[in-house]
Amino acid sequence: MASYYDIDDILAEEEFIPVVFQKAATGVGLLDPSSETNNIEQGAKVELPFWLAHELHTRQAVVMSIPSCFNQMTKKEIQADPGSVDLRNRCQYFYELGCKLAPMVSDRTIGSFLLYAFKNRYKEVLSKAHTSTFIASTKPLTLLTKEETHLCDAAQSSMAAFKKWRIGGSRFERPAVLGKKRKPSDE
Amino acid sequence: MAGQSDPQSSVFSAAEMEFLAEDEIIEVVPNMRMEPLNLISGDYGPFRPQIAAQVPLWLAVALKKRGKCTIRPPEWMSIESLTQVLESERDSPKEFQPLPFHYVEISRLLFDHARDDIPDIYMVRSLIEDIRDVRFHKVESGLETISARTHAVKLKNLSAMEVNIVRPFVVRTLQSFYKHDSPEMIQQPVQMSTSRPQATDRGPRRDLRRR
Repeated sequence: MASYYDIDDILAEEEFIPVVFQKAATGVGLLDPSSETNNIEQGAKVELPFWLAHELHTRQAVVMSIPSCFNQMTKKEIQADPGSVDLRNRCQYFYELGCKLAPMVSDRTIGSFLLYAFKNRYKEVLSKAHTSTFIASTKPLTLLTKEETHLCDAAQSSMAAFKKWRIGGSRFERPAVLGKKRKPSDE
Repeated sequence: MAGQSDPQSSVFSAAEMEFLAEDEIIEVVPNMRMEPLNLISGDYGPFRPQIAAQVPLWLAVALKKRGKCTIRPPEWMSIESLTQVLESERDSPKEFQPLPFHYVEISRLLFDHARDDIPDIYMVRSLIEDIRDVRFHKVESGLETISARTHAVKLKNLSAMEVNIVRPFVVRTLQSFYKHDSPEMIQQPVQMSTSRPQATDRGPRRDLRRR
């Protein structure tokens, strides 16, 4: 689904991931705000955007750990009440990032956790997307991640288009050229 | 499909659905005399006054606009059959009643162009609205049953417009579920401390969920 030009895919890779450097690195002190020199020591804990952490991970320079949106507390909250957890605030690209992260971290439960979260949030919020009016749905909308918002939008826009057609109005659009008066030509 | 207004989302606009519905055949009673029309889609006519003829809906509407015919509303648009459909729609919460595939579009075209040919138009109109509401509610409660193991959704007797409304949502939902349920994402079904029923007992991935 993710294509090279998919802006959501690009933005999802901007999310920060806590990593631990396995090797000392020179000249990249700007990645670690707490470092006094221009170097990063072995064992330093730094937050890096996913695209950088991923590259370093494949070269075994860093070990990724789990960002806060997948920690134990969030899992507990989602198990308690999936529909009312504010995932947008924690990580807009919760599902996209989770999918990318799952094969790389030691925690094997992320994949099934994502499915569990999506399944239950779908039941509570999204399956009502067609009929819920805009006013009623603004509140839950602020809790949704990007992927869920796209779903909601798809449902509501198709319903809105249908309602517009049913109410009717002019069936034919008058082409703009027809109404205009012809300009008197100079010749 | 070529000619869609929005090729990205694989959905027809309502006006395009209406255009497709105009090919349905309907009965008209002309009040003029005309030779048969030989069109690519078939021959229609000949037209004799007071002798009913079968024509496509677009032709019927065109003749009606010129005052050359009256349109006979189809069988299913009578109050009796609509009341019956509405009752059985309400009685069976899982199934949809057979109605013409384009019933939403046909009824709107007739309401717009042939109001004087439909007896009890207000009653018919509100019956059709009710039927559509009941059916859409059924669709929506059916959507709730989509879960990780749903790989196809069977919707018997659903009409064109109803399918078209839910299409963008359903396609995206199924895609998301497919992505999150793929075997690469669920590596080992490790039990977490609390109960996670969906992680255990994962059946084969190809079951067709009946709705």
